[in-house]
Amino acid sequence: MGSAAAAAKLLSLSRAQCSHALGIAASLAGAPMANAATQAKPLHVGNAARLGLEAALLAARGMEANPLILDDIPGCAGFSAFYGVYRPQPLAAPGQQHQFLLEKQDIAFKRFPAHLGMHWVVDAALSVRNLLVNHTGSFCPALIRTIVLKIPLSKYINRPFPSSEHQARHSFQFNACAALLDGDVGLASFSEGSIQRQELRELLAKVVVEHPEDNAANFDKMYGEVALLLHSGDVLTGKCDTFYGHWRKPLSKESLLKKFRSNASHVLAEENVEAIIAMVDNLEDLPDGSQLACSL
Amino acid sequence: MWAKTVTGNFASVIHGLNANHLTDQVIQRSKRMILDTLGVGLLGTSTEVCHKVTQYSKIYSSDLSSTIWGHLDFRLPPLYAAFVNGVAVHSMDFDDTWHPATHPSGAVLPAVIALSEAFPRNKKISGLDLLLAFNVGIEVQGRLLRFSSEARNIPKRFHPPTVVGTMGSAAACAKLLALDQLGCKNALAIAASYAGAPLANAATQTKPLHIGNAAKHGLEAACLASWGLQGNKQILDMESGIGAFYTDYNPQTLPTLQSYPWLLDQQDVAIKCFPAHLGTHWVADAASSVRRKLVESSGNLLPLENIEKVILKVPKVEYVNRPSPASEHEARHSFQFVACSALLDGSMSVQSFTSEKIHRPALQELLRKTQLEHPPDNTPSFESLYCEVSVTLRDGNTIGDRCDTFYGHWRKPLKKEDLEKKFQSNALSVLPAEATEGIIQTVYNLEKVDDCSMLSTFLSGQLARTLSEKLHFF
Repeated sequence: MGSAAAAAKLLSLSRAQCSHALGIAASLAGAPMANAATQAKPLHVGNAARLGLEAALLAARGMEANPLILDDIPGCAGFSAFYGVYRPQPLAAPGQQHQFLLEKQDIAFKRFPAHLGMHWVVDAALSVRNLLVNHTGSFCPALIRTIVLKIPLSKYINRPFPSSEHQARHSFQFNACAALLDGDVGLASFSEGSIQRQELRELLAKVVVEHPEDNAANFDKMYGEVALLLHSGDVLTGKCDTFYGHWRKPLSKESLLKKFRSNASHVLAEENVEAIIAMVDNLEDLPDGSQLACSL
Repeated sequence: MWAKTVTGNFASVIHGLNANHLTDQVIQRSKRMILDTLGVGLLGTSTEVCHKVTQYSKIYSSDLSSTIWGHLDFRLPPLYAAFVNGVAVHSMDFDDTWHPATHPSGAVLPAVIALSEAFPRNKKISGLDLLLAFNVGIEVQGRLLRFSSEARNIPKRFHPPTVVGTMGSAAACAKLLALDQLGCKNALAIAASYAGAPLANAATQTKPLHIGNAAKHGLEAACLASWGLQGNKQILDMESGIGAFYTDYNPQTLPTLQSYPWLLDQQDVAIKCFPAHLGTHWVADAASSVRRKLVESSGNLLPLENIEKVILKVPKVEYVNRPSPASEHEARHSFQFVACSALLDGSMSVQSFTSEKIHRPALQELLRKTQLEHPPDNTPSFESLYCEVSVTLRDGNTIGDRCDTFYGHWRKPLKKEDLEKKFQSNALSVLPAEATEGIIQTVYNLEKVDDCSMLSTFLSGQLARTLSEKLHFF
């Protein structure tokens, strides 16, 4: 829906055409959760982009759809088809105290390529790892009897023994153990070799999960707690309410640029990488937007 | 080998079904469906909606190309050929309907025909290959619809062709591509992520895209699977898979391949006589009959001014309840419109939905006198619904009639001559007579055709020289 709206904007569609773009897009929207943690999940975003664009292109050529697609019409579902409880509200008109949501609610940026929920657990794991290192002088997995993860209840990210990179990116258990073993989680953590490591599998076998009632499956409210129950009887705990990169603790400009440079330099020459940084930083002054695409 | 999951089971059935499993009845019924679908599609190429999607699709170019039905002047990449032809099939709501409710053929036939043209020159796809793939696509749809009791009734949330049609298209294309079991599984899994469009676009110009997209996306899913893309191997098992589209979802494994019982053997489709929502067909039958009675009792004239009230007893189906439709798409989804048209004209046809017909004063006046009633025993299911039309005159007399099963419903199937008549009437609007005759002969002898590309050739309107070269099944 967002892609259709954005493309409609870029194509300067009329009001009626914008409405039809949304209507056509609704008929292209929606995919079930089951393909999360599989190779097909990335297609969800690719298709959202492509199909929203298609909807706008069709609307530009006069295709018409239901003008009440976002309204709640009992007996014949529009966008409401995708939700159990659906309560649409009108937006303030532009120029009449309209405020973009992005003013009030920032976004979260990931530090490593995995489901957002993993970031809480990783930060908690790193914190308790530090405690262990200070406590015993080094990180020694053999000292650990049990690892207790206190996480929200969410089936598709609760995977005790992931077998693919896609599954690993959606596994509280895997991310906690990788953080404990390696002292950080990054791109390389999800390689085949890393996932199949003997020491990692051994650590995974020590994990139990708990779902405290106060840990809501909600990116605004959730927390991650990692407790190490040592053979010695000691218990060390790390907890994270807000990971670094969350909207409550946003990435600094330096951290964001570091992430971008690290990612982009895998495929682009340094001058392109820097050109993109400069163009995005001055985007509102860029006379020809297609220059951005050229550097990509 | 018995699969442990329903998804795995579907994959092994899709993979394992072969031509020997097809029964005569299934073959006969599917040929009727194929012919009817081609006819409505050919007619549909002349619609405004089809014209728009054609113009849009032309912006893509490719080395591979497939036939656009009714056109010799251009071709499109197979995905967009499936899209455009699929839109054409559903453009006027004239295509077949099954029970539980969906439009099965439009989601599958355009995809398999487009795909059949995309193979390298040395690989021939026979008519039997096409027939088998088509039936795999139909069967998968029917089986999925039986996994939810919600599916037995006329839908309210998602438009069924967008859920099961996409899956059927993926299955059919996986079959034609001869994917292995894993490939079939992945084709289904990937297709699920394209499935599902809300009902609200029914009765709008976008509705035909539901079938076009089902065909296109199913084909795309199968192609991606053939390139090794993987999805959730339990897509049919999980509530968060295909189950996401239903409030109650109970998947079952399919019967064993040994003398496989095709759903099409047990449950035929309904073929429409005029281009409108299936529910209106009961209304048209009853209204036409009431008109005959009225005319008989009034000296062979319809006593329009004497009509005080028209009452329609129909099931409660919100998206076909339109007292005053303003567009052809709305008129095709209006109990009231079809009742009044049939009362005025005596029967319904393709021409009943033109702008002039929709806006004529006599019809508008009759519409104002029309009301709906929803008797509790009139369930919104194509298996059991009925329609009663009663007209009350100024003098207090009431003339009424009831229709339980219209001609074309699976309980009262169209005769061969009438099916052909519908096809010819549709196809001749865009193709020359030799081509339409060629299509009929090819479809009737589909299992004996060794290169089904001749079907595409006829569909494009090419003739004469091609005819004698390619008709070698006689």
